[in-house]
Amino acid sequence: MKFQNAMMAPLLSVMAVAVGFPLMYSLWLGFTSYQLVSGGVADFVGLDNYMRVLSDRDYWASLSATATYVFLSVTFELIIGLTLALALQSQKWFKNFTRSFLLAPMFITPIAVGLMFRFFLNDQLGAIPYYLNQVGLSYDFFGSGRALVSLAFIDVWQWTPFMVLLLLAGLESIPKQPIEAARVDGANRFYIFRRVTLPMLSPILIVAVLLRGLDALKVFEYVYATTRGGPGIETKTIQYLTYQTGISYYRLAEASAMAFILLVIVLGVIILLFRRLERVNIR
Amino acid sequence: MARVTFDNVVKKYGDTTVVKGLNLELPDGAFTVLVGPSGCGKTTTLRMIAGLEPVTSGAIRIGDKDVTTLEPKDRDIAMVFQNYALYPHLTVRENLAFPLRAIRVNRADALKRADAVAETMGLTALLDRKPKDLSGGQQQRVAIGRAIIREPAVFLFDEPLSNLDAKLRVEMRTELLQLQRRLGITSLFVTHDQEEAMTLSDFIVVMRDGEIAQQGKPKDVYDRPNSTFVAAFVGSPKMNLMEGTFSAGKFVADSGLTLAVAGVSAGKKILGVRPDDVILEVGGKSSSRGRVGVIELLGPRAIVQVDASGQSLTAVVESSRMEGIVEGAEVGISIRDSSHHLFDAETGQRV
Amino acid sequence: MNRFKLIDASRIVLLVVAVAAVALPLLWVALASFKTPADLNQPGIVWFTPTMSNWAEVLSSDIFVAVGRSILVATVTVGIAVVVGSMGAYSIARFSTGGSLSRFGILAAQVLPPAVLVFPFLSVAYMLRLNGTLVPIIFSHLSFVVPVVTWFLIGFFAAVPKEIEEQARVDGFGRFDTFRLVVLPQVLPGIGAAAIFGFTLSWNDMFYGLILSPSNSTILPVAIAGFNTFRGVELGPMAVAILIAIIPVVIASFFVQKRLVQGISGGAVKG
Repeated sequence: MKFQNAMMAPLLSVMAVAVGFPLMYSLWLGFTSYQLVSGGVADFVGLDNYMRVLSDRDYWASLSATATYVFLSVTFELIIGLTLALALQSQKWFKNFTRSFLLAPMFITPIAVGLMFRFFLNDQLGAIPYYLNQVGLSYDFFGSGRALVSLAFIDVWQWTPFMVLLLLAGLESIPKQPIEAARVDGANRFYIFRRVTLPMLSPILIVAVLLRGLDALKVFEYVYATTRGGPGIETKTIQYLTYQTGISYYRLAEASAMAFILLVIVLGVIILLFRRLERVNIR
Repeated sequence: MARVTFDNVVKKYGDTTVVKGLNLELPDGAFTVLVGPSGCGKTTTLRMIAGLEPVTSGAIRIGDKDVTTLEPKDRDIAMVFQNYALYPHLTVRENLAFPLRAIRVNRADALKRADAVAETMGLTALLDRKPKDLSGGQQQRVAIGRAIIREPAVFLFDEPLSNLDAKLRVEMRTELLQLQRRLGITSLFVTHDQEEAMTLSDFIVVMRDGEIAQQGKPKDVYDRPNSTFVAAFVGSPKMNLMEGTFSAGKFVADSGLTLAVAGVSAGKKILGVRPDDVILEVGGKSSSRGRVGVIELLGPRAIVQVDASGQSLTAVVESSRMEGIVEGAEVGISIRDSSHHLFDAETGQRV
Repeated sequence: MNRFKLIDASRIVLLVVAVAAVALPLLWVALASFKTPADLNQPGIVWFTPTMSNWAEVLSSDIFVAVGRSILVATVTVGIAVVVGSMGAYSIARFSTGGSLSRFGILAAQVLPPAVLVFPFLSVAYMLRLNGTLVPIIFSHLSFVVPVVTWFLIGFFAAVPKEIEEQARVDGFGRFDTFRLVVLPQVLPGIGAAAIFGFTLSWNDMFYGLILSPSNSTILPVAIAGFNTFRGVELGPMAVAILIAIIPVVIASFFVQKRLVQGISGGAVKG
């Protein structure tokens, strides 16, 4: 076997067992009426599961909630992240410490972050509501209409560092000459940023937004730690709904169908991202 | 110690043919230099001997063994790269000993031999250093030491001196030559510098566009270049080449300059004269006249550029004869007897 | 010339705010771990007598068994990922094996929603009667750690100069020995960072852990979630559990910060 293929073989084998096989099996599961006790045998029910899922209003509500969540969190992460990255780039004092410290949140297990905020924002036990009360404000972080935003806020706390990381890398890799040239030409800081830095940064921005967005789609731990889908079904994000359907309600096959629909959406997005990446590289 | 033979070797990258049907034999135990302008295929040829580039068609033999399809490690060769490629994570001693590990020499013996080679190369004081703490010249020595420790059949050098400053280059040239003489291993040295090629080689191969333009002993190639390309490439300063017509003992260049050249049959030809063979006389009786342009003083000699009837000529003049030859001076030009070269006006080949 | 411009001032203010925003919740949790249930019910308390009872309770529980399991799962996963991933990353970096398809595959595998793979894992675990072991979890962790580690390493392998490999081949080494003896030593820092990063990913996973690990012998994040009853009294011990999960990882992140940039971009920035 050619050397390069032999070196790829172990990786491919592991991926086939850990990803490839489950993927195929998941597809099959979606077309059956499988139950955990079936022991590997199940009736083929065609598109029943898919139909049931797609006609369920709760499913669409879930998709909508998830989309809102992704939009909110990624937008804020992008804006805050870019600002922080710019600030960190020209940082001189305590550079390493600041960077390491600001990156720390993304390394914490999400369930811990979720639980931490659950109580930090809890209207009886939490510090923030307490101090808000002191100044006469009262805000129920997990109440109706606000829970989803609070969850997005948790996402922003934990994952802005990831954005900062990518954007810092991007900022440090773009050529300095165009910026210096613009400065010499007399352009002011904001103009330079808008017309020179930002365009050069755009490929990385796109990658960062898409990577982060795809990750945000999978939100589960924050919901599990705080609202468990409530109030009502307001925060029942898609991965949480799938978990509930499969594990709490024992509808494994239907859950598989649900998951596979999400997969198709995700694959669609990354194919687009990939085409974009390739085009940039060719340039 | 072995002959290296190229049997009709062709190398293509996609549709581009980089080496065209090369037939070459490197003499056993000799220092052969492969020289030519960039893109001529010399580095590709070297890498094909090493096994780093696959051969499109043809065969390469080292000694009597056909090595065309063998991995580099099975060819019994050693190579020194342009940037020395020392292993950054190993000390000098370990770098030197490393090739012995491949042939399963035990560690103690390997390190002993490394120390011995280090002494030969004058590296003993540096044995415990890492490559990044060495100067360019020292790194080079380590690279060479690493090549000789296995006593291979063939040495390959890919422009190893190009990264050194001029003075160091000349020093290393001498050292390299002495080393090769002592070891007697067949060596192939690639360079784009024709001066380096001329001083180092027992046997020189000039390449152009994937083919051999001329091969032979350096003196032969210098004295009898077989084409205008080789004539212009070998020798510094460059040979003066003029297109023109011969008739009745005179050469009339297309530019207008007339020179007296005896013993040439009539017709359109290219005349080649080495700057060393151009004689300038202040005043002088020659009917060919010119005006001195730029002068470069090189200590024992000077390179003088002369404008003659619209033709620019380069001459080399001994310092002792420079009296009166100054910028703007009018001089007479003549050519040393029988030192000229003639080339066909169409093909550029020697006649 | 030291000009203290408005923009420098606002930059520093911004960073201070950011550091505070990160520190505050963490600090609060740290403090909470020392508070009695009574104190916890009064979030306004500034001065309180710290108690070690929460720590005592958690440290004497079997939380460390869960920690041990997390370590085991993460170590096995990362071990496999580094071996398999470095070979694959080398192949992709040096030879562009599989071209766009392999790069796409690796990217896709990283962003796959766990919900897609978890049910097959669960089902197969039951069929093979492995549902009481940590084996299903390890496989599920492999599904995302291996691609990430591979992606991470590609950039590092691409940075090794070709000449060194050619030199080794000419010096008498076959291609695998060249990889093992010459290329790997050059990428060791990258492998270290990839290992830490992969370890963190595995350590932090809760989704697979929740579904696939046996209820009586679970991994750490799930154990932490177990403190999540709707009773406020569990907050103290939960704070301790949170800190136990957070501290090692945050410390590790300090060491890895520099190489992270090179790895996470894995080709996204430099291609």
